[in-house]
Amino acid sequence: MKVTIDDVVLPGDFCEDIIKAGEKSRVILGPGLRKELEKIFITKAGVLRKRAPNTYWVDSYQKRYVPARGENVIGVVIQKAGDSFRVDVGGSCSATLSYLSFEGATKKNRPEVQVGDVIYAKMLVASKDMEPELVCVDSNGKKGRLGVLNDGFVFKCSINLVRKILNPSCPLLNSLKNEWPFELAAGMNGRIWIKANSMRETIAVGNAILGCEYLTSEEIKSMCTNIASILAGHVS
Amino acid sequence: MGAEEKDLRDFKLQPMKCELNFLSKSDGSAILSQGDTVALVSVNGPLDIKSTSQSIEKSTLEILFCSKGGKPSVADRYKENVIRQTCEKAVLGCLYPRTGITITIQELEDFGGFLSCALNCACLALLNSGVSLRHVFACVTCGVDEKGEVVLGGRGCDTQISCVFDSIDKTLITCFSEGTYSEGTYLEAVARCRAASELVFAFYRDVVSKYSNAI
Amino acid sequence: MAEIYKLIHPVKYFNDYISRDIRPDGRKFHEQRNIKVNVNSLKTAEASAVVKCGNTTVVCGVQLELATPKAEEPELGFLVTNVELTPLCSSKYRPGPPSDNAQVQSYMLSDIFSNSKCIDLKDLCIVPDKLAWVVYCDIVCLDNDGSLVDACIIALMASLKTLSLPTVTYDPETEEIKVDPDVRTPLKVDGCPVATSFAVYKLTERNILLTDPSAYEEEMCGGLGAHFTVCLNKGLICGNHKFGGSHLLMENQEEVLKIAKERANLVVKVIDSCIKNEKSIDK
Repeated sequence: MKVTIDDVVLPGDFCEDIIKAGEKSRVILGPGLRKELEKIFITKAGVLRKRAPNTYWVDSYQKRYVPARGENVIGVVIQKAGDSFRVDVGGSCSATLSYLSFEGATKKNRPEVQVGDVIYAKMLVASKDMEPELVCVDSNGKKGRLGVLNDGFVFKCSINLVRKILNPSCPLLNSLKNEWPFELAAGMNGRIWIKANSMRETIAVGNAILGCEYLTSEEIKSMCTNIASILAGHVS
Repeated sequence: MGAEEKDLRDFKLQPMKCELNFLSKSDGSAILSQGDTVALVSVNGPLDIKSTSQSIEKSTLEILFCSKGGKPSVADRYKENVIRQTCEKAVLGCLYPRTGITITIQELEDFGGFLSCALNCACLALLNSGVSLRHVFACVTCGVDEKGEVVLGGRGCDTQISCVFDSIDKTLITCFSEGTYSEGTYLEAVARCRAASELVFAFYRDVVSKYSNAI
Repeated sequence: MAEIYKLIHPVKYFNDYISRDIRPDGRKFHEQRNIKVNVNSLKTAEASAVVKCGNTTVVCGVQLELATPKAEEPELGFLVTNVELTPLCSSKYRPGPPSDNAQVQSYMLSDIFSNSKCIDLKDLCIVPDKLAWVVYCDIVCLDNDGSLVDACIIALMASLKTLSLPTVTYDPETEEIKVDPDVRTPLKVDGCPVATSFAVYKLTERNILLTDPSAYEEEMCGGLGAHFTVCLNKGLICGNHKFGGSHLLMENQEEVLKIAKERANLVVKVIDSCIKNEKSIDK
């Protein structure tokens, strides 16, 4: 079936608008789109989106992570193997993380990472034919926000929920950060790490995130004020 | 042609009801009822599987069919085979080499046409799981009544013809039948099923639009 | 050279043949392989047949046994079909319990057979609720070179057509059973279902139908069980099976039915003339 931007799409549908745009300039096909025999086919169920000038993708529901290059993910170290760590990121196979890919690490000066540690890292290599590889430094060798996450609490959620809360137009994090202080790392593999001053606050952040999955922006705002007032003890 | 086409479409399918994401822990799941027949399907994957069943070219589909009684039988293997071959055609397995996708089908209620319900339910569960698909597919069953007329749904008929169509060109992917029938009946049944598959695809779109507006 | 080419570019190799309207084994698209049938080849079985379709070879042996009918169907006898795919017939099969594929083939066979209604199970019953024949049809595949179901059905029908049941006398009072193997009545067989397989190959924008595909062609066209099988009994369709594989267009269907009909007539002739020959030798 022929579809246009912002339509609900099913796999097997095709979009002619993208082909037309492709004749004039280069287009970028995001997740859920695939070129086959001069036609652009949809491969996932969801809503076809466009961002000007030329990026197209399908907003879809997904729980299982498929590694993609350049994404920040949260993983758990499951094994130390020689000069690298094996990290479970929730994909079909575990990712490797070389001990040299930490800031300031040398052969002598190994980073202190134990089995069971939670790591916030960037996907350096993610191809369907190769094992994914993670790094904990950016291109300048700086650690930035990457590295071992200490304390805090990790929970899993669907991948589109992570995309939703990281979307700048989503009011959730903006509303929450004004209410009480907390740290948050969202992995694109559907794992979220949070750290707040007390357990009560940590649980509140977690519940707020999980609760916003099917809410609109307005509903999220009112939910946040609601949670904040409960936390402050105004309502029991 | 126009009038005939309309005539074909006038047939009603059994009422379908569906809930996606029915199970919280699997990657994708769907529960579908077609009339009184109910199937529950869960999809997990792409996952790591044992190296003997890995394929370097495409992802391996593992189908598990659980009948209501729980006892595995030869008929279950047959149903698994039908579902595996059909899903293999739809799933873009080449995007996930050396992995496995597990599809588990649980029979809940069988008042006829279970395999057809299970196939549609498997398609919905695959949509829910976010696995890349080439196309969606719809299974429609036709029955032949005592007078030799082809009826859609066809519950209680001795002769039943089921066809699975893809959503791109509406071509036949899978076909299986029960009983004996003439050539003309067969061709009519395939044409009817093909026209009715539109209704199933419209239903899929309806289900997807309901949840995709919320996310 | 050709062998290396086949290994390096398996799809292109196949395409080159198909686009020149010929199949790798030299056949035309709708040309079938030779069918050879031999009946009563096993002396230990009640009835038997060996069938060769090209390289595909299957042996069917029929054994008889007496049993009590099921309580819910006291007037019906039993006919049990089983297909064995041993490691002998292809490197794809491993020794051990029946593989999924063997179970699927067995099920398909018994499904086609029961749908065709060519044997009335009531004929197998001797005394309702007390005594009935169990006909075990064991089919062993010696060489699997594609279109297995076709060959299995021919073997099954050829052996059943030669099967005769010994006379049994049953004394209801003493429950004594007497079997007289010398006085036999042939089993009534109504029609003769014939299966014809077609592989569907997608050659850019064109769907090619290959009649009676070999194992290699089956593999190129989507693997195990992806081909389209039509079964005809006396002009009526008694089973259409197609699981996945390349898509089938509506235009193809009529073509398929026409070829299947021609082949059904041919196979029936082959079986009948084979049985006739066998009988004339016996005399």
